[in-house]
Amino acid sequence: MLFLTTVGFEPTHVSISDPESDPLDLSGTSPVLLLIKPTMDTYTGAIKPEIKIDELTSERVKFILTNTDLSMANALRRIMISEVATIAIDIVEFELNTSVLADEFIAHRLGLIPLDSTEAEKIKYSRECSCQGACKECSVELNLHVRCTEEDTTKDVTSRDLVSNDPRFTPIQDGPKDPGILIAKLRKGQEIKVKCIAKKGVAKEHAKWSPCAAVAFEYDPFNKLRHVHYWIEEDEKKEWPASKNAEKDFPPGEDEGKYIFNNKLTLFDFTAKPNRFYFEVETIGSMKPEDIVMNAFKKLLEKISSVQMGLTTNDISITGRDQPREF
Amino acid sequence: MPNMPSTFHTCEREKLFLHPSSKKFGVPELQRLVKPHIESFNSLLEPPTRGILHYAVDDIGVVEIADVPHNSPEKGNILKVWIEEVLIGKPLLPENARGVKTRQIYPSECRERMTTYAGKMMIKFCWQVNDEPPNTDTKSMGFIPIMIKSNRCNLQYFYSKQMIQHHEESEEMGGYFIINGIEKIIRLLLIQRRNYPMALLRPSFANRGTSYTEYGVSIRCARQDQTTMTNTLHYLKDGNCMLRFVWRKQEYIVPVIFFLKSLVEINDKGIYEMLMLGDFENTFMSDRVEHMLQEFKAHDVKSREQSLTLLGEKFRVIIGLPSHYSNKQVGEYVIKKVLLVHLTNFQDKFDLLIFMIRKLYSFVVGNCCPDNPDSPQNQEVLLGGHLYGMIIKEKLADYLNGIKAQILMDLNAKKTVNFKDKKYLSTTFNKSNSDIGKKLAYFLATGNLVSNTGLDLMQTTGYTIIAEKLNFFRYISHFRCVHRGSFFAELKTTTVRKLLPESWGFICPVHTPDGTPCGLLNHLSYSCRVITSQLNVNKIPLLLSEFGISVKPPINGKDKICVQLDGKILGWCSSKHAQSIADRLRILKIEEKIPIDIEIGFIPPSNGGQYPGIYIFSSSGRMMRPVKFLANGKTDMVGSFEQVYMNIACLQEDIVKGTTTHQEFSPTNILSILANLTPFSDYNQSPRNMYQCQMAKQTMGTPATALTHRTDNKLYRLQTGQTPIVRPELHNTLGLDGFPNGTNAIVAVVSYTCYDMEDAMIINKSSHERGFGYGTIYKSEIVNLEKFRKLGDPIQHHFGLGADASPHWREKLDDDGLPFIGIKITYGDPLCAYIDETKGITKVTKYKGLEDAYVDQVRLLGDDLGKIEVQKIHIKLRIPRPSVIGDKFSSRHGQKGILSRLWPQTDMPFTESGMQPDIIINPHAFPSRMTIGMFVESLAGKCGALFGIAQDCTPFKFNEEYTAIDYFGEQLLRAGYNYHGNEPMYSGITGEEFHADIYIGVVFYQRLRHMVSDKWQVRSTGPVHNLTMQPIGGRKKSGGVRFGEMERDSLLAHGMSFCLQDRLMNCSDYSQCHLCRKCGSIFTSLSLKTHHTINSNYTYKKHHIQCDICDTARWITLVKIPYAFRYLATELASMGIKIVLDTET
Repeated sequence: MLFLTTVGFEPTHVSISDPESDPLDLSGTSPVLLLIKPTMDTYTGAIKPEIKIDELTSERVKFILTNTDLSMANALRRIMISEVATIAIDIVEFELNTSVLADEFIAHRLGLIPLDSTEAEKIKYSRECSCQGACKECSVELNLHVRCTEEDTTKDVTSRDLVSNDPRFTPIQDGPKDPGILIAKLRKGQEIKVKCIAKKGVAKEHAKWSPCAAVAFEYDPFNKLRHVHYWIEEDEKKEWPASKNAEKDFPPGEDEGKYIFNNKLTLFDFTAKPNRFYFEVETIGSMKPEDIVMNAFKKLLEKISSVQMGLTTNDISITGRDQPREF
Repeated sequence: MPNMPSTFHTCEREKLFLHPSSKKFGVPELQRLVKPHIESFNSLLEPPTRGILHYAVDDIGVVEIADVPHNSPEKGNILKVWIEEVLIGKPLLPENARGVKTRQIYPSECRERMTTYAGKMMIKFCWQVNDEPPNTDTKSMGFIPIMIKSNRCNLQYFYSKQMIQHHEESEEMGGYFIINGIEKIIRLLLIQRRNYPMALLRPSFANRGTSYTEYGVSIRCARQDQTTMTNTLHYLKDGNCMLRFVWRKQEYIVPVIFFLKSLVEINDKGIYEMLMLGDFENTFMSDRVEHMLQEFKAHDVKSREQSLTLLGEKFRVIIGLPSHYSNKQVGEYVIKKVLLVHLTNFQDKFDLLIFMIRKLYSFVVGNCCPDNPDSPQNQEVLLGGHLYGMIIKEKLADYLNGIKAQILMDLNAKKTVNFKDKKYLSTTFNKSNSDIGKKLAYFLATGNLVSNTGLDLMQTTGYTIIAEKLNFFRYISHFRCVHRGSFFAELKTTTVRKLLPESWGFICPVHTPDGTPCGLLNHLSYSCRVITSQLNVNKIPLLLSEFGISVKPPINGKDKICVQLDGKILGWCSSKHAQSIADRLRILKIEEKIPIDIEIGFIPPSNGGQYPGIYIFSSSGRMMRPVKFLANGKTDMVGSFEQVYMNIACLQEDIVKGTTTHQEFSPTNILSILANLTPFSDYNQSPRNMYQCQMAKQTMGTPATALTHRTDNKLYRLQTGQTPIVRPELHNTLGLDGFPNGTNAIVAVVSYTCYDMEDAMIINKSSHERGFGYGTIYKSEIVNLEKFRKLGDPIQHHFGLGADASPHWREKLDDDGLPFIGIKITYGDPLCAYIDETKGITKVTKYKGLEDAYVDQVRLLGDDLGKIEVQKIHIKLRIPRPSVIGDKFSSRHGQKGILSRLWPQTDMPFTESGMQPDIIINPHAFPSRMTIGMFVESLAGKCGALFGIAQDCTPFKFNEEYTAIDYFGEQLLRAGYNYHGNEPMYSGITGEEFHADIYIGVVFYQRLRHMVSDKWQVRSTGPVHNLTMQPIGGRKKSGGVRFGEMERDSLLAHGMSFCLQDRLMNCSDYSQCHLCRKCGSIFTSLSLKTHHTINSNYTYKKHHIQCDICDTARWITLVKIPYAFRYLATELASMGIKIVLDTET
C-alpha cells in the first residue's frame, strides 16, 4: 500500500526473545520484548511500513503506523492537520443583514461551516485558476436568504439554509434530522441575504480549511524509550493511568532495566528509536476520516517526490545556487 | 466533602431569557447591591409628608425681610417668605409636545437622545406681609435630574419584561442619573460617624493659637434633613475648653461656658457639679473646671438671659436677622442653628455638652484613648441621595436669600420697595434665580459642589463619577465603591490608607486599586448593607428605663456609664449593669421587637481604652452586615461601631465557648463582589488578588445586553464570550452569565519557542482564526448642525446630498446625507453630508479615525417638542478588533501577559489525545508570584470540561483535610488523566515527546482593553515645537517618543557617537547659523547686501555676511548647532549673559 522507505534503523539490538514468535501476539505471557524487530536492514530488503486500522467510523479512524521513523509519522500528522485541501466559504457578499449580529461576525461563522469536501480534488485552487476572481472551476457559490416572519419566536438560520450551486459541495448534514449548524437567530422582520463564495484551501492559511478536529498521536505508551520523565509524587501506577494505546503495545518485560550495552548493564536501550505510532484522526465532517489519511499520504508523497525530483535534476549546482529561486 | 454545586443552570437561564417575568427580576440579588443609592434618593420625598426635603424646608424656615434699610430705627413692613412643600414630578414631556403617544420620558430615550433624565421640581412658595393672611403660589424650580428606578422614575415598578419593552437591561438596577446621555453616579463617601463625640488627637489643633493643644472632642451633628454641623471642643493649655464651629465657611471659636450658661439657667456651682459628677478626688479635673469658671467671670455673665444676649450681640452681624429681633432672640437662634443641631431640646444639648467636656478631660489626662477617625468604627457612608438633598436644601435657601438680597439691593439703590404691590413682589420673586435643576445637572455633570456653606464637607470636587459600562464588573463595582474623600488623597501621611481590623466585613480588604487611590478608594464587602433611613426608636427610652437606667445624672459618677441614643443622653447606669442591658437590647433586636438595624455599641470601662458608654445608633448611613447569632441561629445585623466589642467567630473551629456570641455566615462575606469572583483566591498571594480586581474591571467583556439602545462614547465588546467552567456560586447568584467576560482556554504551562518569555504568551493561530478573543469597539460620532446656527436664526443647514455632491461621496452616503448602514469607512471618508442653504452647496463631515470602521447605526436626534427639523445625528461606528500581537490578556489571578506570537497549530505541542493548547505561558510566571489558585483553576477547569460540569471555586471551601488537589485529582484520574494535571506532550515540530510532562488544563482568560492599536506610536518626521524646534510629544499629535537621558547614556556607553548625533541633533532640532570666530558670538552676524557688478549690463546681488561688532566678514563661519542651544543663548542674552563659542578646525 505504501511505497515509502524508512531510513535510520540500526540493527544494534540484541534481543533475548524468540525470533520465531509473532511479534504482534500480545496474548501470551511470554517475556517477549520487541521494541524493534531484530536484524532489520533498511537498505537491504527492509520491512515495509505498515498500517493497522483499529477502528473506523464515520467520524474517526484509529490506526497504528509501524516500521517507520518518527519524522515520517509526525509529517503525516502535520499534513492531516494543515495541508489536506478542503472547501470552505471564503468570501461573503452581504446584500441584506438586519439581524443583531454584525456582518463580519456572520461572515466568520459562515467560513467555519464545514462543506462536503470529498471531491475537493476536482476543483482548482483559485490562485491556480486562470479566471479573474472566482469561476466554476475554482469556486462554489452558496446562497443564503432567510427572513423571519414568525410572530413570537425567533427563527434559526442554520447551515441547512445555505443553498449551494454545486451539489458536490454542500454544507455537511448528518441525516435528514440534523438541524444543521446555527448561524444566527432572527426576530420578526429581520432578514439575512448573502452570497458566499467557497474556495479550496488548506488549514495552513486559515483554520477553517482544516478537515480534522484533532489528531491524536502517541508512541511508546510504556515509556520504554525514556523520552519522558514522569513526575511522580508517590506512586507512578496510581498517578499515571495507562493510555488506551498501552493495550496494543508491548509491556516492558521482566528484563526491564537490565539491558546490556557494551557488556555493561544499563537501564534501557538508549539507542532505540520509536517505530510504532498510534493515531486517531477525528474529522469535522467535511471529509471521511479515511480520506483525510489517504489525502495526507498523497500529499506527503508529493512532497517527498518533489524533493527527490529536486535532487535528481541537475539545475542545482553543488557549489550554490546559480539562479535566484522563484516563489 | 464540601458542598460543590456543579450545574451551569443553562435551562433556567434560557427560560428567563425566553420568558422574562413581569412581576419579578430574574436576578433579584443584583437589585440589592444598588439599593443604598436608590433608597437614599427615595428618602428625599418618602414618606410623602416627612421626606428629607420636608425636614429641609422646615429647617430653612421663614426668611423675614424689612422694607427699611438695615440700620434704620423704624421697624417698617415685614415680608415673610417661606417654602411650604417641595414636589418633584416624574420625567414628562411638556404638554405642547407634538406627535407623541405618551408624555412619559423613559431613560433609554434620554440615553439615545443625549439629554438629561429630569423631572419638574415645584415648590409651594408662601409669603406674608406683616400680619396679613399668607399667600401661596406654586413655583417651578426647573427640571432636576432624577435617579433611575427611584420613586420619581418612570421605571420604578417595572420588572424584566417591561424593562425590555422600554429598551433597558432585563435586570436594570438603576441608581444613577442620566446627564446629557451620560450615566453618572454620586460617589459614596466615608465620613465621620454622626452624633458621636469623638476624641481626636490632632497636632494641627495646636497650631490654632498659643494656648491651644492637640486634644479635642469633635461631634458631627446631623439634622433630620441629613445636613450636618460639626462642633469641636478644644482643650487649652490652661485647662479651658473652647467650642469651634463653622458658619458659612467661616470658623468661630467660643468659650464653652458661654454655651453652657446660654442653654439652661444654671450657676457656676451647678456647672461644677454637673462636670464633676461627684468625683471630687479627681483633682486634675476639678482644678481645670474651677479655672475655667474663674476665667469666665471676666465676661460678667450671671444669668442665662445675659449670656444669650451677649451671644446674640456678638453674632448679630453674621447671622443677618432683621433688626426687630432682640439680641436674646438672635442668641437663641444661634444655639438652634449651630450648637449640637441633632438635638432640639436645650437641656439635651446641655447634657451632651457636659458629656463632651468630661470626655475631653478624661482624654487629656489619659483615662481614655483617642478615637481613630480613619477607622470604620467611627465612620459612616454619605449616601448619594442624601448629598443630593443637602444641595437641594441649600439651593432652596439660596432662592429665599436671593429674594432678600434683591430687596436689599433695591433699597440701597433707593428704588421704591412696596410690599403691598403684588406686581413688585412677583417681579422680585422672579428675579431670584430659581433654576435649581440646572445647578443640580451641573453638579452631576462635573462633580463640583458650588456652595456657600460648604455643607460641612471636606471637598468641593469629585463627587460624581461616570458609570462606565466597559464591562459588567466595572459597572457594578461603581455602585459598591466608597471613597474616603479627595481631601485625603493629597495627604502625605499614609495612615488613612491603612487596612484596619475594624473594617472586617464592611470594607473589602482585597478590592482597592494600587497606586495613588490605594486604600482611599475601597469597596463595600458583598454582605455589607448601608442603612438608608432613620429607624423607629420611640420604644428605646422606655425599654431602657425598664432595664433600670437612671434618667437623672448620678450624684456619684464613678463607675457610672452613660447611655446615649443617636447622641442624646438617655441616662446612666452602673458599669456592672451595662453589659446585661446591652445584651437584653440585643436579644430584643434579634427577635425584632425593636428594629434589627439598630446598633448597640457597648464600650466597657477599661484602663485607657475608648471612653466607656452604651452608644445606640439608629440613624441612616451606617454600614451593617448580617451575622449568625449563635444562641438561636437567627440573623443579627452588626454595625461597624459595635462589632469592635463583639465576639464573632469566623469558622466553626474559631468558636470559644462562653465568649463567642456570633458567627459569620460565610468567610467570603468579607470580600467584595469582584474579590469573591476570583477563583480559589485563598490559594493566591494576596497582591495577585488585588491585581485581578483591577484587571477584571479592564476586561473586554459584555457591557450590556441592550447594546442597540446604547450610545456610549466608547464600548468594548467581546464577541466570543463564554461562561467560565470554574466559577463561584456567586456567579449564578448575580446572574453573571448574562455578561460573559472571557473565554475558557486550554493553557499549557511550558517554556516553548522563547516567545513566551517575560510574561509574553503564545496563542494558537488556529484558535485565533476560530475567533478566540475576537473583540469589537463601538464608537459614537455626533454631527450637530446647531453649532452653525446662532440662537434665534432660521435653520440654514439640512442633512442631505445635493446635486453637486461628488460621486465618491455617493458610494458612502445616501440621498438623505446619511451613511449606509454596514458601509466601511476609512480615514477621510464622508460620515454624513448636509446642504448649506446660504451658499447652496453640499458639505460633508469627514471621519477622522485612523482605523477602518463600519457604520452600525444612525440615529436622528430631535428636540424635546418635536417641532424643529433634525439638526443632530448620532452615528455608531463599529471597529473590529481581532487580537493582534501586542494585545493584553490575563487569567483571573493577576497574571497578565502580552500576545507575542500567533503560532501555527501544527507547530504547537500536543498531548497524546491530540489536544493542542490555545495559550502557552511560561512556567517562570509562577515561582515568584505564587498564584497557586491558577493551578487549581487549571485542574478544576480540565476535569470540569471532561465531565461537562461547572466547578465551584468559592474560596475557603477546601482545607487541609479535603484538599482541592485531591478533589480534582480524583476526577482527573477517573477520566483517565494524570492525578496532578500533567500530561506528556509532543513537540509539534519534530513529533518527539518532551522530556518533561507538561501541566495543561483549562483556564478562563480575559482579554484586556489595552490594545496596541490604541497605543502604537511611530514617526520619522513630523510636527515640531515652534520655540525649540524639537519634535513634539504625544501620540495624538503624531509626535515622537522621547529619547531621554538614560537612553542617551546607553548610547554613550556603547560609544555609538554617530547614532547619538543622528538622534539628538540631525533628527531633532538641527540648525545652522553664522558664528564670528573672533568674538565668538552667534548673534552678531548681519547679512548686508552688497552690489557687485560684473560688467556694465549685468548686476547681481550678493548676500554678504559680516560680524557687526568686529566689522568684518573674515571670521564668519557656518556652524551646525541644535536649535535649542540657540534658544538657550538668546534667553541668557536677555539676562545679560554672553555666550562665547570657541571653534577648532
